Amino acid sequence: MGTDTPVFTYEVTTRDLAGLPDARGDSVKGMLASNYGVEVGSVRVILGYQVKADLTAEEAQRAVYDLFADPVIEQGSVSGRLLDDAEIFSSRPQIVVQAGFKPGVTDNAGQAGLDGLLTIFPHIAGQAAVATSKTYAFWDVPGGVTSDWLASKLHNPMIERAAIAKRADCQAGNWPTLDFPSQPALDQQTPAVIDLEVSDERLLEISETGLLALNLNEMRAIQAHYRDPVVREQRKALGLPEGAPTDAELECLAQTWSEHCCHKIFASKIHHVDTVTGEDSTIDSLFKTHIMKPTLDIQNEVDWLLSIFHDNSGVIAWNDEWSLCMKAETHNSPSALDPFGGAMTGIVGVNRDILGTGLGARPIANTDVFCFGPPDYSGKIPEGLFHPSRVFRGVHAGVRAGGNESGIPTVNGAIIFDDRYLGKPLVYCGTVGLMPRRLPDGRESHEKTPTPGDVVYMVGGRVGSDGIHGATFSSLELTEESPSSAVQIGDPITQKKMLDMILEARDAGLIQVITDNGAGGLSSSVGEMAELTGGADLDLAVVPLKQAGLSPWEILVSESQERMTVGVRPADCAAFEALAALHEVEATAVGTFTDSGAFVVRMSENVVAHLPIEFLHDGCPQLQLESEWTPPEHEPIEFPESGAEDMGALLERLMARPNVASKEWWVRSYDHEVIAQSVIKPFCGVNHDAPGDAAVIAPIQGQTQGAVISNGIVPRYSDIDAYAMTAASIDEALRNAVCVGVDLDLIAGLDNFCWPDPVESAKTPDGRYKLAQLVRANRALDEVCRAYNLPCISGKDSMKNDATLHGEKISIPPTILFSLIGNHSDVRKAVSSDFKTVGDRIYLCGETHQELGASELAYLLRDESGGESGIGGQVPEIEPERNLAMYRALTAAMGEGLVASAHDCSDGGLAAAVAECCFGADSGASIDLSGVMTDCGDIDSWGALFGESLGRILVSVEPQHCEAFEAAMSGHACHALGSVEAGDQISISNGDEAVLTASMAQLRAAWKGTLDGGGPQ
Amino acid sequence: MSDQVRVAVLSGFGINCESETMAVFEMAGASADRVHVNRLVNGEMSLDDYHIMAVPGGFSFGDHLGSGRLMGNRLRFGLREQVRRFVQASKPVIGICNGFQVLVKMGLLPGDNEVSLTQTASLALNDSGHYENRWATLEFDQRSPCIWTKGLTRMRVPVRHGEGKFVTADRALLDDWAESGQLVVRYVDPTTDYPSASDEVLPYPISPNQSWRNIAGVCDPSGLVFGLMPHPEANHSTWLGATWTRDVEQGEHGEGEGMVIFRNAVEYARANL
Repeated sequence: MGTDTPVFTYEVTTRDLAGLPDARGDSVKGMLASNYGVEVGSVRVILGYQVKADLTAEEAQRAVYDLFADPVIEQGSVSGRLLDDAEIFSSRPQIVVQAGFKPGVTDNAGQAGLDGLLTIFPHIAGQAAVATSKTYAFWDVPGGVTSDWLASKLHNPMIERAAIAKRADCQAGNWPTLDFPSQPALDQQTPAVIDLEVSDERLLEISETGLLALNLNEMRAIQAHYRDPVVREQRKALGLPEGAPTDAELECLAQTWSEHCCHKIFASKIHHVDTVTGEDSTIDSLFKTHIMKPTLDIQNEVDWLLSIFHDNSGVIAWNDEWSLCMKAETHNSPSALDPFGGAMTGIVGVNRDILGTGLGARPIANTDVFCFGPPDYSGKIPEGLFHPSRVFRGVHAGVRAGGNESGIPTVNGAIIFDDRYLGKPLVYCGTVGLMPRRLPDGRESHEKTPTPGDVVYMVGGRVGSDGIHGATFSSLELTEESPSSAVQIGDPITQKKMLDMILEARDAGLIQVITDNGAGGLSSSVGEMAELTGGADLDLAVVPLKQAGLSPWEILVSESQERMTVGVRPADCAAFEALAALHEVEATAVGTFTDSGAFVVRMSENVVAHLPIEFLHDGCPQLQLESEWTPPEHEPIEFPESGAEDMGALLERLMARPNVASKEWWVRSYDHEVIAQSVIKPFCGVNHDAPGDAAVIAPIQGQTQGAVISNGIVPRYSDIDAYAMTAASIDEALRNAVCVGVDLDLIAGLDNFCWPDPVESAKTPDGRYKLAQLVRANRALDEVCRAYNLPCISGKDSMKNDATLHGEKISIPPTILFSLIGNHSDVRKAVSSDFKTVGDRIYLCGETHQELGASELAYLLRDESGGESGIGGQVPEIEPERNLAMYRALTAAMGEGLVASAHDCSDGGLAAAVAECCFGADSGASIDLSGVMTDCGDIDSWGALFGESLGRILVSVEPQHCEAFEAAMSGHACHALGSVEAGDQISISNGDEAVLTASMAQLRAAWKGTLDGGGPQ
Repeated sequence: MSDQVRVAVLSGFGINCESETMAVFEMAGASADRVHVNRLVNGEMSLDDYHIMAVPGGFSFGDHLGSGRLMGNRLRFGLREQVRRFVQASKPVIGICNGFQVLVKMGLLPGDNEVSLTQTASLALNDSGHYENRWATLEFDQRSPCIWTKGLTRMRVPVRHGEGKFVTADRALLDDWAESGQLVVRYVDPTTDYPSASDEVLPYPISPNQSWRNIAGVCDPSGLVFGLMPHPEANHSTWLGATWTRDVEQGEHGEGEGMVIFRNAVEYARANL
């Protein structure tokens, strides 16, 4: 394609038909009203396609309605502006904004357009390019709303460009026009040599300016490696610089040793002091001590932990035929900079972790858990950050597109709000995978089987300048200088084609080893797998590029998406390539696995990196860190004087708080039922709008064995104690799973830590406290998981969730997402949360204590009192042995069919749980708390109604089953509370004293109103 | 009459529902193959070897340039004669969700007697402007010649789409299709009695997309080619229903409401092909 190749500009808009709105325009209008309170008269959207290709005039004309515009519902044009067509737009708009991608940014619609063009005109293959844009035309714009302001809300300058027609331009018919986003080829740089024989200050400078995120000790370890006479001798023989790394080597080490890839804080040696107990001890690796050890101990007791810790996700045997795996990842920093692209990359990225597990697993379910700043945040937003509502909308759209387009149902999730997520949102994306225990050729699918000589294929997308330094970038705090190259947009179509192809190749026995190209790109994927055979030889010159002229180190570390690295036996290469061609997937042989002991990277004949496997993977020096725990002090909660109706009104306000409120508007736009396996869905009840607890899926069509998937996340408790936060998260995940009737003998967990930087430094003077929070969280994980017999099969940590913008530092509250996957013996016995029938008896299983510290109620009272009321008090304590015994009794009762409904008591306590169960039945309830008040000595009605004690499940039972149910629960705390009532009244008393009355319908309206995203709902 | 009814379930390029679509045909007694579109294009497989063709749901080509558009073009340009031959041989075809969008965009639905592959209707963005997954109640026109929907009155199924609003450029066509029984299936208020399908657009979310005349699916004049936006294959077992924990008694579990559609076609093929 030459520079003189003509560009045809196609425009498409909705045809003016009665009963056919411009839904794209209406969505923009709704978004402006919902996010910003700006009401414009009307918005029209014109889709633009710039086609750079040698088409004849006739061909160009034909493509209008054969490809770009729908002949029934759209109007299209080529090389003429629709805005000039008075038949379509009878009056001129006041403001027009055109937005399109910057050169080099993934343009999925453009790629699809190109594919469509080649279907019609195959002769232009390799000679054509398509870029898309959107043109927004506005009428009746309120005074004060400028075109620049509108443009700023419609594009993200980090990845997009905008052209604007202001009011005068519109009068004159000067419509905005972006030129074709051409990306000039780069000048390929010859590998540089980095002299490390310099001062310590200079070593650190090299790390900082190069975005390497290596500390002084690590830089010194690299320096020492290149001083080793044996190494020097070897390098001399290879023709490499003897005493200094090449840029490719240094970059490869930085990726492999990044916090993101090698979890240095979890591997560190920690000196821990507890100023309360006087403890002064040393912990040699939190990971080995508190995560790996308990799981390995459980592995000795059970036979279903197939693969843990060493692969892309942990694998458990589900039955004799099938195994399940699960992984959760975070994609926080990219989502802060480009919410849509960052989140989409997150979800399709974790899907690849599943595809790269064992010899390849099929992703069958996604989970999405987000933490954002409050959607109604009205404080100052530091420059460089988006308002939380925009982050929310963008992240949601990215995950929706990534999951839906990939055909993977989003079955479970949560959305949490707190001011401190303003700096970095947390975007947790999880995926469950399914694979046959054995492949047709007899190999166990959870074991990789590489041998030296296997050919290394890069499969899927091409390598570009996008995603360079993602791994090291996420190991740094966010600043205004954060690079746009760390941001990418996922490409679900390329990935879906690749996924189809890989699974077919797996079943044909063509795959020996496979892994994802995520953080660190080829340097990590090939580098890690090289450890299995003892070496690899990679030729960067044959790697397909989407950006010409990339330098060797850039090709090596680029994290361009939708790529897998696969090892194939030489004899299978032809079949593997044929399969790739059939699926229209690019698969390129880029190297060979060896047993040479080194990861060798070449650019054709020239070696650009030679890294001994041992040094690459074990050379990173252990961090030494300081931890000191002194519990924080908080003011106590001040409880207002409240009668029963006041309490009802307070419950209404509690139900409306974003953390409690219904997320239905958002969740409904995820496909949760593709694969036809969804047994317990995100919503239940007579109107399909009551909240579900855990998801239950029956992934083998027609069979009734199921899998349970749940999540627990309660960052609030970190404000008092990260131990309690962790314990509560684990219990919440398990409690949710118990609510649907999980098989407690086959449950596994995933620990996903997101922390602020816990390393003491000038920037982080409170590092010791933050590290102590991490120590306490790990101890909780260890103790609670052991007690629940709940092994952690996979996990992840993201340790730099701070943002410093213009001198202002915002750190997230320490946050753990605990995800759970378990077995369900018979999905026909699964239980949903909605009350079923008027007259059913209501029970509370589990003990209630006066535990209101850092509860949702405490934050409500704090916010309503302007900070007068504190959040201090007792945080929920965990008694896992007692809880587990009750959970076993309850799930057994469910197996007997004795339980009509079961719902988790968490945010907002018992009162919120009762309300939610009533929503599902369109019913009221009458509840007497007297039994609950006997659980402990110091409880009052605040604690009974709103306390968040762990290990509690609200259950309803048909009257004829009550006797059997009570017998089944004997020996466990299980209080008869009352019954499901006809009508709208929720009445809660303590004996004769009314303590709360409320209208179910009003509570439901409040609960559903807060996070209604707009539109016709 | 055929002993073994063979179903070609198309796959590739973002078709996502091929596994469950194969499963429901197998549950209905047929044998189903996953057939990558390119295997038909390159001649490795042929539609002539099959009795039924299914275009499953998904996001072919990411729904870019309009849902079903690019996959429709692949079939319209790449497999034109193979597809026409299949339809003219009176073999049943179903398109579900994205598959329905494909059949409409390539002109196979509502279609014509000549199988001219001329597009006459379309599926526009939902009025809500976004994708939604929710359950809806459908009502079937028992006067319809559609072989897929024989004996059906109502059915509860999930809808999962962003572009499901059935429209046409010429409203007179709607009367013709209604007359010929091609407007087979429509969204209906579940609290009403059968039959009560109406031409008046029902409120959201009873009509989740604000489709004209509440149309959820249509057939061609022969009744053999059928497509619909909702997902009957996702209700193949009682435990997949939206409210089964409320309305299915223990011990009464079994086949879901959606299975009738697939049984109808397999029985038709067994009897006629």
